[in-house]
Amino acid sequence: MQRSQKIEFLSLCESEEEVAMEAILADYVRSSVRQFMHANAIFHCERLCAEFPSEVNQQLLASCYLQNNQAYCAYHILKGTQMAQSRYLFALSCFKMDLLREAEAALCPANEPSSEVPNGAAGHFLLGLVYRYTDRKISAIHHFKQALSLDPLLWSAYEELCVLGAAEDAAAVFGETAAICIQNQYLHHASVLQNSQAFEEDHSVTSSKDNSADDVSPRQLKQLLSNNVREASGNCQGMAVSARSAVQPPNGGSTHLSLYTTPSPITTQYLCAAPPPLHRNALPNVSNTNSIAADSSPRSTVNSTIQAPRRKFVDEGKLRKISGRLFSDSGPRRSTRLAAEASANTGSNATSTAGNGPNNPSKYLGNSKFSSAALRSVTLRKVSNWTNENFDDGMKNEVIDGCRPIIVSGALPSGDPKALDQETTMLSGVAPNTSKLLSCAGEILGLLRLFGEGYRLSCIYKCQDALEAYSKLPHKHYNTGWVLSQVGKAYFELVDYLEADRAFGLARRVSPYSLEGMDIYSTVLYHLKEDMKLSYLAQELISTDRLAPQSWCAMGNCYSLQKDHETALKNFRRAVQLDSKFAYAHTLCGHEYVALDEFDNGIKSYQTALRIDSRHYKSLYGLGMVYLRQEKFEFAEHHFRLAFHINPCSSIIMSYLGTALHALKRSNEALEMMERAISADRKNPLPMYQKANILVSLECFEKALEVLEELKEYAPRESSIYALMGIIYKRCNMHDKAMLHFGLALDLKPSATDVATIKVTVLPFIMELGTDMKYVLMHVMEI
Amino acid sequence: MATESSEGEEEGKLTGGSPVLSVDEDLREMGKKAAWSVSSCKPGNGVSSLRDDNLETYWQSDGAQPHLMNVQFQKKVKLQLVALYIDFKLDESYTPSKVSIRAGDGFHNLKEIRSVELVKPTGWVYVSLSGNDPRDTFVSTFMLQIAVLSNHLNGRDTHVRQIKVYGPRPNLIPHQLFQFTSTEFNTYAFVR
Repeated sequence: MQRSQKIEFLSLCESEEEVAMEAILADYVRSSVRQFMHANAIFHCERLCAEFPSEVNQQLLASCYLQNNQAYCAYHILKGTQMAQSRYLFALSCFKMDLLREAEAALCPANEPSSEVPNGAAGHFLLGLVYRYTDRKISAIHHFKQALSLDPLLWSAYEELCVLGAAEDAAAVFGETAAICIQNQYLHHASVLQNSQAFEEDHSVTSSKDNSADDVSPRQLKQLLSNNVREASGNCQGMAVSARSAVQPPNGGSTHLSLYTTPSPITTQYLCAAPPPLHRNALPNVSNTNSIAADSSPRSTVNSTIQAPRRKFVDEGKLRKISGRLFSDSGPRRSTRLAAEASANTGSNATSTAGNGPNNPSKYLGNSKFSSAALRSVTLRKVSNWTNENFDDGMKNEVIDGCRPIIVSGALPSGDPKALDQETTMLSGVAPNTSKLLSCAGEILGLLRLFGEGYRLSCIYKCQDALEAYSKLPHKHYNTGWVLSQVGKAYFELVDYLEADRAFGLARRVSPYSLEGMDIYSTVLYHLKEDMKLSYLAQELISTDRLAPQSWCAMGNCYSLQKDHETALKNFRRAVQLDSKFAYAHTLCGHEYVALDEFDNGIKSYQTALRIDSRHYKSLYGLGMVYLRQEKFEFAEHHFRLAFHINPCSSIIMSYLGTALHALKRSNEALEMMERAISADRKNPLPMYQKANILVSLECFEKALEVLEELKEYAPRESSIYALMGIIYKRCNMHDKAMLHFGLALDLKPSATDVATIKVTVLPFIMELGTDMKYVLMHVMEI
Repeated sequence: MATESSEGEEEGKLTGGSPVLSVDEDLREMGKKAAWSVSSCKPGNGVSSLRDDNLETYWQSDGAQPHLMNVQFQKKVKLQLVALYIDFKLDESYTPSKVSIRAGDGFHNLKEIRSVELVKPTGWVYVSLSGNDPRDTFVSTFMLQIAVLSNHLNGRDTHVRQIKVYGPRPNLIPHQLFQFTSTEFNTYAFVR
């Protein structure tokens, strides 16, 4: 890498035009990607790679392919590369292609156990995912925690931790330390940015677009800030880029510079990233120069080297050697680009973007090195901090501290008061202020705390508490698709299907395009037996996204409700095909197999679901039910107990555990479990009925009758209650009462099997009675 | 062994037939797990037409009467209902007239459990396998044989367009004597 850098550096001197061409191409590629013109970008990038073969350009090409959902291309391009960013992109491609071993090897090479994970928080997150899907829970948890510590805003990492059941209290994770971490990152970033700005400033004198430069600055910085804020989490090594959010981590010095080369290089990075909400407020404190200066000693050189697009950044005396020359052009160019990017309003922008390149080939020269470096740092989706590597040896002066986000405003380590003042005035709109930064970070973290707590509690099935946590959210956040879905899920786990229906209904109204949680919604409707609503939901989901597993799960539930288990199974298998890591689809497949009496396939499906998500208690329940049917009671008890450990609040699981215990002749424990189930959820009649069953088999008829009487109040039209009472009276030889209850049971239209059972039980009594009664009763009972 | 009910030789006349198949919810089709065979068939109108859910295709026998449709299960199953789709209007002299249903462990010990006479059927015809005794609601058997003894208008060969065999749904909650009927119970009965 370094070598190539050096060579490029030299070639820079040799052929300025080439460098310029490379820079232009790279720039163009980035801007194409930004506009989502992937085919165009890929084409140009291939030309770029052919003309200037280098690993950085290859990374750009790979990232274009990744953007275009062609991970396999990226895989082949980056195979064998060693640069950190390359390894990260390669690992990402492997992950997308399900080649988890290779992904792991790339991120964490076996022969270099102490090497650092590339790309900081994002790298740790990806590695965590790899470990999770290869069943190494502990390592996964470790890496997710690392990712979170590097980037406290990495919500996805926290989500994964919750799913694995290893999340700490949201208050601890998104707390004070996190706020300070964010603040530091911003300040660092700002300082680096300052430095780069200063540097550019030095050389922007020659720029013909000074005006634009000036105009651009605040916007640039804002842009920068917005982009950088996202990365605030990163550590030295990498910008924390959540694998799931397209955030571009700024990479140290070069990044800063790239930031300035708005259109393509680094700016693209940043601009491609969704500007995080933080940036609006989070601006570093100008007055904090000292602190920043303190920790940016390696930066001091950078300061001098980096050119601020703003002329106001004095630093005249900080002219650099060759790098200075390089940057001189980047300054205006970048600034113009940034201007173009940052605000469409500025008139100069339009012209500047277009005109800059071709107008000033010499400038390009200077720029090119940086631009290309910047270019290299662009990975539209998942940027890493490779700029460090790229530039390390090539540019002495750019002490690009890797991934520190550039925080606009703030500290100019070189401590140029004039510059600072200017900057401050320029940035007055952006109001840098350490304490403010802290408070803003704190606000965001406060929000995240509520979300995190709610999610964590719902993952460990403390659903009431989760609902409380979510209710503390401000209304504008509560009424969003994600939150409402989570609320719906919490009600679903509490077996309050009506409330769940309501919450999910609201969620659909708020974000009708979102499929998150819709598989659970379809199950809710299935439980409520609302076939119209369910089929409507399924149709809508399919028409929204035919390739989402949730849509097919809903469709499958629809068929299952109509008892067409074959078609339901087909639909669930389609969902599995679309996303083999979707645990719930596997569980539903399992349920359908069991309904079709194909126990072996059912067991396989349940086990697959458990392999994906070992805390998916529904699969454990499914396995328990299968074993119960197959009369393998020990297995059944074991699985129900596991499910109980994961979800200790589910009265249904508890009652089945009790049933299994009873089948194992551990009736005392069984009764205990039933008591717990009853007290866990008073509305659930199942444990009471099971308790009565157990008591009957233990011949405690009195108590059983008591329970059944109570149950009768709750569900007066349940035929099985009367049938069981009839059985009890029969065993107690109270035939009239038995007859009465059997009659009542038959009245309530039980299933054919039960009718047969009852009639068979009743027949001997009738035979004993007198002839008249006999015939009357036989007639009544239709025997 | 098939339950031997005293009313094994009972005769019944069935007329008409519903164009649409409608069966009780608590019955489920058992034919998917069975091996189906026929005594003879014309090429192109074989046993698969009996089970293809297509009422246009039919099985046509090609031999001497009685024509037999055999359903064999791997384990003893409880059966309650046989549904046949036959149409006099389409098949005229190929329409079965006398049908006998036998059950047993295998070909060697089949015994007749039901016998019906069809009079100009036009659609789905349901033949219940239950006896009068509540203990005979279901027939517990390894094999079922539906024999066409004679056709309308004394036709030699017979057409049967579709056939389905039904048995009771097993109790979804194992180890429980009775199934739940009310919504309150059913809501809480399972985790999905």
